[in-house]
This record gives sequence, C-alpha cells and structure tokens, in this order.
Amino acid sequence: MRRLSSAFVLTVMAGMTLGLAENSAVAADDYAFDMVHSSVSFKARHLDISWIHGRFNEADGKFSLDRENPEKSTFELTIKADSIDTNNKARDEHLRQPDYFDTKQFPTIEFKSTSTKAIDGGYEVTGDFTMHGKTKKVTFKLMGGKELEFRGTKRVGFSTELSLKRSDFDFDKKNIGLIGDAAIILIDCEGVRK
Amino acid sequence: MPDLLLYLHAIVATGISAVVVTLAIGKKRTPGGTSRNQAACILATAVGLMVGYGVLEFQPNWPPTNGLDRFLTILVPAVIVIEILAIVARVPSWFAWLLRIVLGAISGRVLLHGSVYLNPDMGEWTAIQAWAVLALSGVLLIAEWLLLSELARRSEGRSITLTLSFATLAAGIAIMLAGYIKGGAATLPLATACIATTIGSCFRAGSTRMQPIIGIAIIGLFGLTGIGRFFGQLSMVDALTVVLAPLLCWVTEIRPLLRPLHGRPTWVIGLLRLVFVGIPLVVILIMAKQTFDREMAPLLGML
Repeated sequence: MRRLSSAFVLTVMAGMTLGLAENSAVAADDYAFDMVHSSVSFKARHLDISWIHGRFNEADGKFSLDRENPEKSTFELTIKADSIDTNNKARDEHLRQPDYFDTKQFPTIEFKSTSTKAIDGGYEVTGDFTMHGKTKKVTFKLMGGKELEFRGTKRVGFSTELSLKRSDFDFDKKNIGLIGDAAIILIDCEGVRK
Repeated sequence: MPDLLLYLHAIVATGISAVVVTLAIGKKRTPGGTSRNQAACILATAVGLMVGYGVLEFQPNWPPTNGLDRFLTILVPAVIVIEILAIVARVPSWFAWLLRIVLGAISGRVLLHGSVYLNPDMGEWTAIQAWAVLALSGVLLIAEWLLLSELARRSEGRSITLTLSFATLAAGIAIMLAGYIKGGAATLPLATACIATTIGSCFRAGSTRMQPIIGIAIIGLFGLTGIGRFFGQLSMVDALTVVLAPLLCWVTEIRPLLRPLHGRPTWVIGLLRLVFVGIPLVVILIMAKQTFDREMAPLLGML
C-alpha cells in the first residue's frame, strides 16, 4: 500500500514537472529596452538639398519574443517627445512648440504592435504609431533577433528604418517646405531579458 | 516661416468685413448707444474673425486637439454667445456678469486641457501648482474684465478696446518672435476685428461703452497669450506684461491727472491711454526682437 502511494505521488510529480517544462518551451521571452545601448534617431530634408539629423534622448520600450509562434511576438516603444535633440538648443525649443511636435500637448510618441510575421532575418511588424495626437497603422521590417548571453544576461538586438510623413500626423502643413514632409526614423534597440 | 503677404490679406479682409457689417447693421448716430449697435459690433467682430481665420486657412479640429483649437472652438464662441445674450436677450446684468465670471474662471482649464500641466504624472506641475495657476489666471482675467468694464462705464470705451487690441497684437508678435508662428498669427484677425469694429462704431452710434468688444478682446488677449506662454516660448514676464498693460488705461483716472484732463476732448484721453499702455508693449517687443536676433535668426539660415 505504501509502495502504491509513493508510486502515485512520484507519477503526479513527474507529470507536473513535464507539464511545466512544456509550458516553458512555448512561453514568450520578455525583454526590456536597454536604453544605454539603444537609440531613436531621425533625419529630414532641409531645403531638399541636405539632411538634418536628430535624436530623441529619452525612450523606453519592451518586447516579447515567441520563437515558436512568431505571430505572438509583441513590440512596444514610448518616446518622450520633449527629449528631441538636434544639437542646436534654439532649434530644439522651436521643434517642441505647437508648430511642430507640441510637446506640452503631446508629450509622448508611441508604438504598439498589433501583428507580427516572421521574415528572413527578422520580423515584419505592424502596429499603431501615435504621434502629435494622431494614430496611424505602420508596417516595418525589424531586422535582427539574434540572442547573446553576456555576463549572465541574455540580450537581443533589432534595427529598423521607417519613413513617416508629418502631414499624416496633423503637423501644420504650412511648416512643411523648408523641412521636408517625410522623416526617416532609425531605431536600434537592444533588449535585456527579464 | 511667417507669410507676411498672407497676414496682410487676412488683416485687410478682416478689417473690411468687420467695418462693413458694423455700418450695415448699426443705426446711424443715436445718443447713448443702442442695443442694435452693440449687437452689430458683436456680429461684425464675429464675421471679421471668421473671414480672417478663413484667409489664414485655420481649420481647428473638432473635437479640439490642442490649445489653439480649444481657444477657437470653445472660448471665442462662448464669449460671443454671452455678449449676444447680454444685449439681445436682455438678460439681467448680474446674470450676464455671472456668465462672464464663469467663463473667466474656466478659461485656463479649457486651454490647458489634456496638456502636461494638468497631469501630475508628467512632472511639469503638481496638482496644487496646477490649481494655483488656474485660480490666479482666472482671478486676473475676471479682475481685468471688471476693471476695464467699469472704466468704460465711467468714460468713453473705444480707447479701451483699442488698447486691448494693441496688447493682443503685441502678444502675437512676441509669440511669433519666440518661435510659435501660427499662435502669433492667430492674434491678427482678433485684434483687427476689434479695432475695425471700434472704428466702425464711431460712425454708427454716439458714445458706446463697447462692453461686448471688451469681453471678446479680453478673452482673446488672455487666451492667446496663455497659449503662447504655456505651449510656446513666451516668457512669463512678457505674458504678464501684455495681459496687464491695458489696465494702465486707469492712469487717466488717477487724481493728479483728473484735473488737467477735465474737459478735454475724449480723443485726448484716449490717446493718453494708448501711450501709457503702448510704452510697456513697445519695450516687450524690442526685447523680443533682440532675443529673436540672438537665438532664432541664425536658425532661419540653418533650419
């Protein structure tokens, strides 16, 4: 009787362990942006003859990678619009005003993915991009995803480049001209596994 | 970049439409002013604003998404409705003033709605700071509205609307020089409509207290200056100077000046008020231009 009880308990415990292992195998890995090794930058045409470069110094994000089911992977990014930096204080203050980013009214620029598809070398991500109070669906290719363990921490990196038009996000059309409508956004992110 | 030719078109269109409506609807000279003339002034200002903002191609969103939208779609229509009710519907004076006080009290809250200032999590203001600023701005607006209305009751009111309009124009230029072009441009139709209506009223009534235009001009001055201060880069000193400068009209009522001015034509008193109010406005503009030359002008070649 005692042997039967012990065998029963062992069987139950083995079953639970197997079940947990199975769940772990399909669970997504959550990563938080390491902003020390990530950047959000942009460039826009000036007078259609040159490029002005800038960056946002404060951003935060997270992503969840499900390598078994890539379509379940998710990506989120929040940028503090006030942190815009074009290496010119007067221009930065000008860009924060309502003629441009209106950062006192729209303090953040956000992206939240709605669907993900695995492609060769990364993912094709579609999601809601919200800037200047307007939300639009955008799709871009997120290249990378290679995971590396460094000093006991798992890290994975991605890069993307997407083009957005200011006129699509309710920026004042009268201020489109000297600076081009389209801006190229470059995001390089390194995530640290939680 | 500011489109000076477009602004000129807007000013001319606003001015002509406001004067035409004032002359068309107002009655010819009748002593004491009439409700019809005051209603004509309100309508003329409203038409002037619509024409002016139309020429500037201002298309506010509905529901409003930013401070300027809220000013154009909520505050301006609200003050026009209140002033129309006060004149046409013949509501009791105390009720009209109650509505004005309510509008003055909520104007700040309306303008800053959804902004970082009213969200303590954003770190700009604490909840107490937000309430303090809103309360103070409301008190200043209401106090100035009451004081200038009382002054218009005691003496001729056209110089008061003119000083309010010039203060609004000065705010607009300072806002533009600080970098918020559209916010500065928004002052042009408002100031022009008030000035044109004031001038038109000279040909349509005897003395008129211009109470409706004082209300529209004060809401315009505080509203647009507030937008320039809290969403643009207008400094607090410049903002307070332009909104409070019209109170210098009261200088002509202080005792040492009352005797020398007694019996003078009203235009002399009006001119003195314009000079007293104009001095701080000119100082503000000179300083704003200096700051622009130092900080923004190089950017125009680099931006």
